[in-house]
Amino acid sequence: MSYTDWIFALHLLTAATLVGGFVMSWIVVVALRTANTPDATLSLNRVARVGTVVIVVGLLGTIALGIWTAILRPELRPWHGWAIAAIVLWGIAAAAVLRSFVEYAKPVAKARELIASGLAGPSDELTALNRTSTGLLLRGLASAAIVLIVIDMIYKPGA
Amino acid sequence: MLAAIRPAGQDFPVLLHIVGATIVFGALLASATSLALARGEIRLLRLGYFSLLFVALPGMALMWGAGQWIYHKQGWNKLPSNVKDVDWLTIGFVVGDYGGLFFIAALIVGGIGILRLRNGKSDGGLLKLTMVMALVLAVAYVVAVWAMTGKPTGASAAPAPGPGANAPTTTAVSVAATEFKFALSKQSVPHGKVVFTLSNKGKIPHDFSIDGKTSTIVSPSKTTTLTLRLGAGKFLYLCTVPGHAQAGMKGTLIVK
Repeated sequence: MSYTDWIFALHLLTAATLVGGFVMSWIVVVALRTANTPDATLSLNRVARVGTVVIVVGLLGTIALGIWTAILRPELRPWHGWAIAAIVLWGIAAAAVLRSFVEYAKPVAKARELIASGLAGPSDELTALNRTSTGLLLRGLASAAIVLIVIDMIYKPGA
Repeated sequence: MLAAIRPAGQDFPVLLHIVGATIVFGALLASATSLALARGEIRLLRLGYFSLLFVALPGMALMWGAGQWIYHKQGWNKLPSNVKDVDWLTIGFVVGDYGGLFFIAALIVGGIGILRLRNGKSDGGLLKLTMVMALVLAVAYVVAVWAMTGKPTGASAAPAPGPGANAPTTTAVSVAATEFKFALSKQSVPHGKVVFTLSNKGKIPHDFSIDGKTSTIVSPSKTTTLTLRLGAGKFLYLCTVPGHAQAGMKGTLIVK
């Protein structure tokens, strides 16, 4: 394998990591919808934190190695239409998912607050925060952008 | 920059294959993480197992089915075994097929663990084993993604002793690759050492494979050489980039 092949393979590995991270985050988001106690919220948050790291590594690796690949391979250029579309979609996905992390941090903060107050039982307010529609919408927007990037890459001209 | 260069008409099965593979990878990560961080909590133990059962299993079916679709659509099933036994495809099949059996074993082990938990018997041991199996599979998937995208051939451009190993003749053959055909300077050569010089005159990367040996993938406007010894006979040559041979990048070289 040449140097270019390695960079391309690493780009695809980080892309797989990114999409895998989104799958992982959706599993946690769905599980959170039935969590109504501080303990359940905090235990799911342990899994969510790993998913967050996977997504961030995937986001950074995909864009950096993707642009690097486009520079190294003569048939690809970062200013091609499909590449610009992918970069814009990556920006939307990154902004939406980072904003969604803020939304899903709220129930964690609330759960810690409840435990500090000695309230370990079910809480309607906590349940509502775990079922945040804003967070769900943002995560859905980010996921849609990622799916569109995958489609863009597979159906790009010359592919 | 995702996905290999391929002829039109094969995009949809590739999309399904990639989507299935990433669903499996994400579910394996979620499962292994949940089981590893459970600390005996039933909620996370169940989440870990059900991630495998309800997310990874359908993803695996999608990935495997779409992979078979691509395999037949690209005509790999019609190629001689010495040509289609390329390392990256073998790795993909090992992870897909044997990994699938390993995955089913993980489901059974985890299922027994969950049933024992449901019956009030503590059996975190089986679920820890499931976690280890999910992690092993996740690592195998990383290797498979690397193999399917980097497409290492494992083949050396160095001469390989063949039926004509003692032949004294050395023949140079120029190979021009375009989309999607090869133009060889000679259609027949004497047996012995043959040096193929592959020039990519097309717009996308290509390689050249003959008698089980494959050149490196060559970018447009670049060249590479592949040297090997060929005995008398007819040898199929082709481009191993998925779909290119089926699109026309193949032929037969006569060795006298």
